[in-house]
Amino acid sequence: MLIPLLLAWTPSPVPQEAPDLPDLYAIKASVLETGTGEVIEHAVLLVEGGKVITVGEDLVVERGIPVYELDPDQVVIPGLVNAYTRVGMTGSGQSGARPWQRASDELYPAAGDYSGVRETGVTTLGHYPSGNGIPGRCVVVRPKGSTASAMTIKDDAYLKVIMGSSKSAKDALSGGFKKADTWIAKEKKNKEKWDKAKEKFDKEKDKEKKAKLDPGPYKPLADDPSAASFMQLRDGSLKALISVRTAGDYLHLIDAIGEEEFTWDLRVVMTRDMNIYHVIEKVAKSGRRVVLEPEISLHPGTMRQRNLPAEFARAGTPVVLVPRSDSVAGFKAWRRHVGEIVASGLDRSTAMRAITLEPAALLGVDDQVGSLEAGKQANFVILSGDPFEPGTQVDAVILDGVLVSGEVNL
Amino acid sequence: MHIQTNTNGRTLILAVLLPIFLSLCAPAFSQDEKKEQEEPQTEEETDEWFALQGGDIYTGTGAVLRGATVLSKNGTIDEIGYDLFIPEGAEVLDVSGYRVYPGLVAIESRGLFGGSSDLANSVDPFSKNMTLALAAGVTTARSGSEVAKLRAGHIDGLVLNSGILPRLSYSKSSPSGKRTLREKFEAASQYLRDYAQWQIDKKSDKELKEPSKKGIDSSILRYLRGEARPLFSASQRTDLLEIARLAQRFGFRPIIDGCQEGWIVADELGRAGASAILTARDRSSKGEQLVRAGGSSIENAAILHRAGVSVTIIPSSAGISLGGIVGRDLMHLTVEAGYAVRGGLSEKAALDSITIEPARLMGVSQRVGSIEVGKDADMIITDGDVLHYQTFVQWAVVAGEVVYDKQAELYFAHIRPRPEAALSPEERLDAGETPEEEIVEEAGDSDSPGEGNEEGDGEDHDEDDGDGGSRP
Repeated sequence: MLIPLLLAWTPSPVPQEAPDLPDLYAIKASVLETGTGEVIEHAVLLVEGGKVITVGEDLVVERGIPVYELDPDQVVIPGLVNAYTRVGMTGSGQSGARPWQRASDELYPAAGDYSGVRETGVTTLGHYPSGNGIPGRCVVVRPKGSTASAMTIKDDAYLKVIMGSSKSAKDALSGGFKKADTWIAKEKKNKEKWDKAKEKFDKEKDKEKKAKLDPGPYKPLADDPSAASFMQLRDGSLKALISVRTAGDYLHLIDAIGEEEFTWDLRVVMTRDMNIYHVIEKVAKSGRRVVLEPEISLHPGTMRQRNLPAEFARAGTPVVLVPRSDSVAGFKAWRRHVGEIVASGLDRSTAMRAITLEPAALLGVDDQVGSLEAGKQANFVILSGDPFEPGTQVDAVILDGVLVSGEVNL
Repeated sequence: MHIQTNTNGRTLILAVLLPIFLSLCAPAFSQDEKKEQEEPQTEEETDEWFALQGGDIYTGTGAVLRGATVLSKNGTIDEIGYDLFIPEGAEVLDVSGYRVYPGLVAIESRGLFGGSSDLANSVDPFSKNMTLALAAGVTTARSGSEVAKLRAGHIDGLVLNSGILPRLSYSKSSPSGKRTLREKFEAASQYLRDYAQWQIDKKSDKELKEPSKKGIDSSILRYLRGEARPLFSASQRTDLLEIARLAQRFGFRPIIDGCQEGWIVADELGRAGASAILTARDRSSKGEQLVRAGGSSIENAAILHRAGVSVTIIPSSAGISLGGIVGRDLMHLTVEAGYAVRGGLSEKAALDSITIEPARLMGVSQRVGSIEVGKDADMIITDGDVLHYQTFVQWAVVAGEVVYDKQAELYFAHIRPRPEAALSPEERLDAGETPEEEIVEEAGDSDSPGEGNEEGDGEDHDEDDGDGGSRP
């Protein structure tokens, strides 16, 4: 009884109010990476109203605009985007196909993890619903805000689908489209029935009889939420992120998709020795993005190391990298882990893109975040040095133009 | 690897002449005829040709053709012989100095396909075990009640037949089970007799009712009609005799799994038209009190075969096991057959026992089990006698596509590497010798041995193949 009480009494550390940045200001950095692959030296970044006004080399800043000149070692990169995370969310999902379910319904803005997330320099998160089969839809949030709507950037960013080498997993996908077909057929019949009744009603001239035949206004069938999701996939208003573990899963996925056409990207769950490399060429040809951890894996049955993210990138597949562990600690180690695979072969600018602009594109918010370009949100991170060096610290994090972690000195 | 794309002079000339010829004839054709002319041309473009050139072809059911060529079209063997016309664009694998055998057939397997039942939906076509089985020469295997091809890298065209090898039990350990089964056979054969009689009688009396099928086991009817063959598990002499007698009494051909003491009652089994599935090295000693012959014999396969029993051989463990005692798993199917040769079985019969015989038992001998025109292009290319324990499978071809290349996989590439592989170190997969990046890329290529390796192999290797590889 005593211990919890004692804990409660311990004065909580006074939250250090980050000194506010003005509405309009400029950052001068010796190195700025835009996230598109471009590296600007002697860069000037002009921010107003939470948005990037302009960014460029050696720009002249108008007199009167506060200029924050960074240390020569410091590097500015865009706020990181983690497109595939559940940090800050609780609860476990259900199994089976629930494509209508939304991760936005389980948002918990007060979750303590978000402040930790901010400190790591991650400024955009894609939350997916947990569960098996088809767990539901992803929501894009900023790790800031006291209400769910204040956090939300975009809902229904992608539909998460888990594919495996089994009939049930394949049926969940192909069966979903079949459900949509059935619904459309039913709706068509329903409409035809009403049309016939209406025709009869229109032809009838006798007033008394006519009153009896009135079919009333047309009532469409009740929405089938599952069928509706698959219809959305078809018409392009929703895309899918399909998770596979093995190369075999990928072939079964292609088999399950069949003739169906919709937008989807690929999530590859990295394991110690995986064989996804068998289909790297096929994935590259399909033009899908691939979401995976920055991990060195082993060629199955051997101790030979393979850098699969680099292999995917080299084959021409846009790569999205996510932290190895989905936790604040994992976020902290994220840049270092990406650095490891850069050191063993992944192209450096691809790597930067893979944690900023590419995930933003996956989430469909690359018009707002993911890179430092004019018109986008002013989400950026000031690092103590090279982003992929192991010792580099996060000095400051700016989200929507506002300092949310660390400090910037005039 | 030295797969090349064939650029044939003759076809080039044809390609030049054909349009000229067609344009000359064009005015004579009506529009419909023109269409007909065009259609086969587009079909031809999608045809996939694959030629194994210059190997000694052990066809299995036929002769051995030395230095001949097997040409396959869309996964089916199209032509076998000498001086074949190889169509333009065909993939050509020069195997001179090597031997070509039909892909081996395993009548039992575990864990090759990665999935459980319902292979078509659950197979893992990249599983390690599948590659290792291909390395052992197995290209077709039974898994549960399905028989499927080891088509590495593909999930279609896999299952050849399902619902195969229905089991029956007829053993002295269950006398009541024996009686029930016997009664079922009696009822079924009575029904067949009645049915035959009815067919004769109904000619004179059209009102006559068809005999009732009620209570008749339909699967047993199929055995009696010769549409399917039941599988028994039996190893003891008495059980084998009983099964042989049951089969002879009712007139069906049993398949007997185990069959350890078959050599003692081989004549009876032969007369009953039985087939045996056995492990050549099975060991069991006879009871000490027994005066008569008993126990296992290394000559089992040979004696049974001499008595007219078709013999299928399977190792004692049908999985791929990389631990424990070597030589008892499916990777040593050929070694097991070699032991049958040690017991007196002819080499031809030993090859049959791991190719065409199991294919027959599973009802897929029209597709696999031998190299014949019209059958699937499932072949293995070895550097020596397939039954010799030192022989390596260099390539395995399934449905006209190389699905295993010894030098491209890590498992055996380092043991007696192929000469041309030794000459080009960048082709090798030795870890640590080449920079990380190169290894990674190389391995990526190796996974699709059929493609991407066409270039750069040409000049280096052609001469070396003449040396005959490294034959034991």
